[in-house]
Amino acid sequence: MEDLRADPEEILKKISEETKSEKEGHLKIFFGYAAGVGKTYTMLKAAHAAKRQGIDVVVGYVEPHTRPQTTALLGGLECMAPLSLEHKGICLKEFDLDAAISRKPQLILVDELAHTNAEACRHTKRYQDILELLKAGIDVYTTVNVQHIESLNDIVASITGVMVRERIPDRIFDQAHQVELVDIEPTDLIERLHEGKIYKETQAKKALGNFFSVENLVALREIALRRCADRVNKVAEKAKVAQGSTYYTDEHILVCLSSSPSNSKIIRTAARMAYAFRGNFTALFVETPDFAVMSEENRKRLRSNVALAEQLGAAIETVYGDDVAFQIAEFARLSGVSKIVVGRNNAKRKYVFGKPSLTEKLTSSAPNLDVYIIPDQEISRYKPKRAKRSPFRFMLSDLIKSIALLVLATLIGYAFYQLGFSEANIITVYILSVLITAIITSERLYSLVSSVISVLTFNFFFTVPRFSLNAYDGGYPVTFLIMFLSAFLTGTLAAKIKQNAKQSAQTAYRTKVLLETNQLLQKAKDKRDIVSITSSQLTKLLGKDIIFYSVENEKLGQPSVFFVGEEEIPKNYTSENEKAVAEWVFKNNKHAGATTNTLGSAQCLYLAVRVNTAVYGVVGIAIGGEPLDSFENSVVLSIIGECALALENQKVSYDREQAAILAKNEQLRANLLRSISHDLRTPLTSISGNAGILLSNEAAIDEQKRKILYTDIYDDSLWLINLVENLLSVTRIEDGSMNLKMSAELMEEVVAEALSHIHRKSVEHKIVVQQSDDFIMAKMDARLIIQVIINIVDNAIKYTPADSEIIIAISKVKDKVVVEISDNGNGISEEAKAKIFEMFYTATTTIADSRRSLGLGLALCKSIITAHGGTISVRDNIPNGTVFSFTLPAEEVTLHE
Amino acid sequence: MNKPLVLVVEDDVAVRNLISTTLETHDYRFHTAPTGQAAILEAVSYNPDVVLLDLGLPDIDGIDIIRRIRSWSQMPIIVISARSEDTDKIDALDAGADDYLTKPFSVEELLARLRVTFRRLNYSASATGSEKVVYTNGELKIDYAAGCVFMGDAELHLTPIEYKLLCLLAKNTGKVLTHTFITREIWGSAWENNVASLRVFMATLRKKIESNTTTQKYIQTHVGVGYRMLRV
Repeated sequence: MEDLRADPEEILKKISEETKSEKEGHLKIFFGYAAGVGKTYTMLKAAHAAKRQGIDVVVGYVEPHTRPQTTALLGGLECMAPLSLEHKGICLKEFDLDAAISRKPQLILVDELAHTNAEACRHTKRYQDILELLKAGIDVYTTVNVQHIESLNDIVASITGVMVRERIPDRIFDQAHQVELVDIEPTDLIERLHEGKIYKETQAKKALGNFFSVENLVALREIALRRCADRVNKVAEKAKVAQGSTYYTDEHILVCLSSSPSNSKIIRTAARMAYAFRGNFTALFVETPDFAVMSEENRKRLRSNVALAEQLGAAIETVYGDDVAFQIAEFARLSGVSKIVVGRNNAKRKYVFGKPSLTEKLTSSAPNLDVYIIPDQEISRYKPKRAKRSPFRFMLSDLIKSIALLVLATLIGYAFYQLGFSEANIITVYILSVLITAIITSERLYSLVSSVISVLTFNFFFTVPRFSLNAYDGGYPVTFLIMFLSAFLTGTLAAKIKQNAKQSAQTAYRTKVLLETNQLLQKAKDKRDIVSITSSQLTKLLGKDIIFYSVENEKLGQPSVFFVGEEEIPKNYTSENEKAVAEWVFKNNKHAGATTNTLGSAQCLYLAVRVNTAVYGVVGIAIGGEPLDSFENSVVLSIIGECALALENQKVSYDREQAAILAKNEQLRANLLRSISHDLRTPLTSISGNAGILLSNEAAIDEQKRKILYTDIYDDSLWLINLVENLLSVTRIEDGSMNLKMSAELMEEVVAEALSHIHRKSVEHKIVVQQSDDFIMAKMDARLIIQVIINIVDNAIKYTPADSEIIIAISKVKDKVVVEISDNGNGISEEAKAKIFEMFYTATTTIADSRRSLGLGLALCKSIITAHGGTISVRDNIPNGTVFSFTLPAEEVTLHE
Repeated sequence: MNKPLVLVVEDDVAVRNLISTTLETHDYRFHTAPTGQAAILEAVSYNPDVVLLDLGLPDIDGIDIIRRIRSWSQMPIIVISARSEDTDKIDALDAGADDYLTKPFSVEELLARLRVTFRRLNYSASATGSEKVVYTNGELKIDYAAGCVFMGDAELHLTPIEYKLLCLLAKNTGKVLTHTFITREIWGSAWENNVASLRVFMATLRKKIESNTTTQKYIQTHVGVGYRMLRV
């Protein structure tokens, strides 16, 4: 029963793949074993068939061959104009990816999957273009020949003798939705070649001689057929995995990476093996001290080998150590590796004093492992070249130290000699001095020279005949040799220990940076913190400038640049070009830029800061042409991963906060509505009731009574109008201060406007405006501030007896405008003062004409003033009454005459 | 002059009734139009003296109607808008409206606006030739040729900008000019800082012209919108 039940993870994987394939386009590859089998022709036929079914087909790019049959088929299909690029004076025609994406047909034809694009294109390889098309939901038809498949590359090369540079990763081929093998008998193909259908006359002859022999073609055809069959197997395999009816072996294949040019062959072999065994596949690189002095050429080759292994599905691991075999064995033991694939050239890597070969050491340190040794003809040509050592740095201090040590050793030796100690003691002193030299000087040369000189001085000073370089005793040459060797070996060992210490210190430093990042990120308070911590940690780790684009509102925000040094050297890190690369990374969730195959012309390497598919930002590293080594790369990736997690957490908590604010606003709005509907009823009752009376029995009511009813209706409607104004202001404030329309206004005009809206009862009050200066300007949303003044003055009128005096005083204090509205009424109790700015608070004073109030006015005033960045307060007027005062930011005006 | 003809464009029946009743009781002739289409048709066929235009119509945007009318006629247009549409008001004025009323408005306010408009119409009908050289408005007199301004008999000393502002307002007497319009006319751009300067220049200009600064006899301020020279 158990076996029948599918693993839930497999089901999930399948579902996610299915949903992915719903959105993504389908890829169909027309696959041939040689040029001229008719791939493009078949593809165009298929396109015509699709068109007849009503599918929107566009020819994105077809190589401009002069094969008339093929060209004829282009008729009747929509062809996109190729992108013309000028490169070193030659006009190159390339597939126009952007045009294709914006045209967005259902199906697009792009010839030659393995093509390498011109430098100015976004991607180095055409298959990357096609992946982007698929991602955009466009179906793609394309063509490829067998020799372009990465894993078959060397096999094909061994048959044809031609190494093909343009290659596609196997996964593209294996993950294609459909592969159609375009097959033709080799003899027919040769026939066609003779007829000149494939190449022109002269080319044809050359091709016939080199490549198009019957044997070659038969072999190629066999490989192509096999590869297709393999692919079918793989697909079936996948289906089986999905059903849970298959098993994965515990095989774990390990391949060792090196900078050797033949390493790629070993990697491919290992990959095929891993595939055959259906096992895990790991590629291991042992970083030895030699790595630091590796030549640029070798480094480059190592990088391409690493990339190849990655492409073939290997997990890349790096370990550090001096002893390669031991490190490999340790790694294999710890990660359960069952088979190791090494190249024979690796076996001769170490050549100092005929140490046992790597393979020998490997077999002895890991006796349980299968070790596969791949023969290699190229071995004789390749020697792991060291870079020319960084030019010998001569340091006077080192020289002086060495000489001083030798002199000291000689003096002590002389003392020993005088005291009659044996020569052995003197020799030991010399060896000691060489050892110390090795430790305290920076170059190995000093200890080497010291060894030689110490032997010579010993000979000169202490052997008979003294003070000459001759030695009578026959045993001396042996003594000298042993002395030299022990001095030299101790020196070398000491230097090595020093180097190891340096290396492990570097590793420790990187690990420390990672740990530190983790701790700092946990303490980070907001997005800005996270970004700056991540960037500064990366700068610290890599010693390179960092550019960080964070994502805001589903879009890439403005970049922030972090420089290594104190001084900011203005470099064009944020040019439109660079931004476009970052934008691409953000959209496609893949790395791009310098040292990658996508948009490689950029200055920086861009990596997405992501958690699964959610991208939270893009990090640019001003890489300066030198790719990151794999350990640096993995540390960078972990730091960026940490950053992404932190950003995600931050976003989650931010969203939660927002939700809480929203809920609070909802609550506020609900309260408001309840209060309004309650407060609306009273005046509406009065208006509708009074109007009703007037409508039905107007004649029965005497003139004076009627007048009262009219006045009540009018007053109540005015009250409602005022309420509506306040409500409008509330909605504007509640939407956040973003809605404030700030402009510089003259306080005098604003106050005058406000007073013109004041309730007409104000004729019973005396209102005075006082100004210290004629032109006091403040930055404000005029409508809202008018509302504030109206509310406060209305309040003053409402709560003070008739004939009271209301004074509006405007003054400027430093950079603030202060408005004080005072009355000489009864004043407000201390208790009320504390609550007066709260929503729905209504003063329950016993003034006779105290009317209903919404209790909204002063609360609104407070939020308006706060939104303006000012303060509002209330205090007692002397001798009696109340003073409301609020501040606004003052505006200085420079007059433009 | 005949009884003036007012075209009332308003989709709300109650407000239309209110306006028409008011006009009727004050002896104006009027036509009503409930939609934008009808409004344009009425405007073309009757060529009214004044249009009262509600901005929120069901079919055509009020600002569009102003533009269409302005393409063939300079008839005064008074816009009626709900208070929340502050920018609509400014857009309408910039599109060519002469004045605006904010809902809710009182009957007195409506009548006052109409009177202001008609006074201007009468004035420009009677004074056609002389206006170009000397402008008179109550006590205020501007001698364009000499570049002098008089209040009664006394000459006012204005700075160049104040003079430019006064002339601009005088030439558009009765019309509400928006801040953007004025700054563009005076400084050539509607830069934020210029709008602030405009406030100050306006205040100083008014101090020189108005005898009592709290009442606005000649120059009226519309906070957040603009300024207007009133025909006294």
